Amino acid sequence: MLKRKRSRHVALVLAGTATLALAACEDDRVDAQSFPDLQSCIAAAEENSLFFTAEDCRTNFAAAQEEYLETAPRYESKELCEQQHGAGNCGDDPVAQNSGGGGFSFMPLLMGYMLGSMMSRGGGVFSQPMVRTADGRFATPKGDQSFASNRGAGKVPTQTFTRAPSTLGKPPLSSAAVAQRGGFGQSSTARSSSRGFGG
Amino acid sequence: MEKITLPERPDWRIEAEALGFTFADMGGEPYWDETSAYRLTLQQIEEDIEAPSTELHALCREAVAKAVLSEEWLTRLDIPRPYWDLVEQSWSNGEPELYGRMDLAYDGKGPAKLLEYNADTPTSLYESASFQWLWLEEQQKRGVLSPDTDQFNALHEALVERWAEICEPATEIHFAADKSNPEDYATVEALAWAAREAGMGAHFTDLAGIGVTEEGQFADDKDRVIGTLFKLYPWEDMLRDDFAAYLQGSGLRCIEPAWKAILSNKGLLPLLWEMFPGHPNLLPAFFEADVAEALKGGAPAPSVADAFAAAEEQLRAGYVTKPIFSREGAGVSIFERGHETERTQDDSYSHHPMILQALAPLPEYSGFHPVLGAWIVGEACVGLGIREDRARITHNLSRFKPHFIEG
Repeated sequence: MLKRKRSRHVALVLAGTATLALAACEDDRVDAQSFPDLQSCIAAAEENSLFFTAEDCRTNFAAAQEEYLETAPRYESKELCEQQHGAGNCGDDPVAQNSGGGGFSFMPLLMGYMLGSMMSRGGGVFSQPMVRTADGRFATPKGDQSFASNRGAGKVPTQTFTRAPSTLGKPPLSSAAVAQRGGFGQSSTARSSSRGFGG
Repeated sequence: MEKITLPERPDWRIEAEALGFTFADMGGEPYWDETSAYRLTLQQIEEDIEAPSTELHALCREAVAKAVLSEEWLTRLDIPRPYWDLVEQSWSNGEPELYGRMDLAYDGKGPAKLLEYNADTPTSLYESASFQWLWLEEQQKRGVLSPDTDQFNALHEALVERWAEICEPATEIHFAADKSNPEDYATVEALAWAAREAGMGAHFTDLAGIGVTEEGQFADDKDRVIGTLFKLYPWEDMLRDDFAAYLQGSGLRCIEPAWKAILSNKGLLPLLWEMFPGHPNLLPAFFEADVAEALKGGAPAPSVADAFAAAEEQLRAGYVTKPIFSREGAGVSIFERGHETERTQDDSYSHHPMILQALAPLPEYSGFHPVLGAWIVGEACVGLGIREDRARITHNLSRFKPHFIEG
């Protein structure tokens, strides 16, 4: 055959809505490990052959610190911050102190960071900073993923490593308070419609 | 192009069911029908379908570039005025398209003619990309078809590639459709698997379950924020829904982009004919309001007088009228020698402005009229799916027929 006109493989199975929704949430999990500080990460990397090296620890700890400063929530009072992150878990905003401006100058303390292996996605090692939650857990700054501890290994959803926005708006898949529903699907160009929407 | 009778795979119904292809029979009539198949030569595929369809898509992009800046065309296409900016910006920002299906009239000889372009919400993707592919592979294994046969069906691989081109790695994409409609859902799931293969996260949400958050973002039926939305839901409806007002401030990326509202609109056909009159793959087309009087012996609208004169003889022989918004043949009528000779029962779109297009009679093969669905992924034609109907107007109970390339 000179030139093949068809795919070498296709996706044959239609799994249904429940499976697609579930598969997307459950299968997209990556190896992850969290550390309270840089030293414990380096120690772990040197002790065992893991998905990251001591160098990855350094690079990612620096990245996580920077990301923490950019994306961790900021509050106008320490009380408000502690309501969200627990007593004793908040401090002054170092960025606001340096620049000397802004009314939001309290933020949760950096309590560790999590490394994730993105090898299956063609990436390398990714990281996210961790802060405390009001119920004593550890969460990434965007708050949609929380963990019992800042020390340990396991599998976490890929989106854990999606960067939180530093501007307005929440990132995809984070949980949000829905104000109203059902505003799409009224299909108003058809006078009567029992069909679907495609054609 | 020929229609060849072939033995069915004895267990295909069991296999279809096992794969989740639950609508292979619909309303007591077969939908997937492999008692026969269309055979096309490689030359027919490449020169008459693939290359012209890719070219037509490029012409369509030129038409979009013109229409988004034209108040006259945005008005004629009935794009709601509050969203002209949204449509124009989606184009000027270069938001990329994913897929579409051109419906062509073709009989193996002469140029294929574009009947319409479902560029926004085309279905029958699973049957085209997957079940049709499986049919060819299995019929080759069984010796029913020669190992030298092929199929114009690079859809799945092209979709995987396209997703990777148009989304950042590991983008979380929501797929919305009417979950109670298995045909719509199957198309969406086929797209979602391709997206996942391209490294994206894929999440299904029922269209009617989508909500707006307190911050004005969209959220799925589980309250999770939607960043990128593939919607199997036409722009013409979306822009008339209550939530349309939230689109611009929501940060939502929609696939297809909003400029597809211009292409999926049958007003595209007169627009193309105005821009590219006489193109071998286009049929003369006008807004009915511009030429209705002229067909009764009066005068056409001055702006189309020359074009009407050039096409008058062809139109008098036969033309089709269809609403600018309509799907699956709804509201379509055929007129020949001035008399209505066929119409579909479904008139649920007939209150919209109508267009009029010269009749390209569909060929007949053993009592059925095939329409060729040329699949566009990105900007190129990558596959073919054929549906045929006893009636001359293809509607939603048409049959899907497999095809193969030989010779």
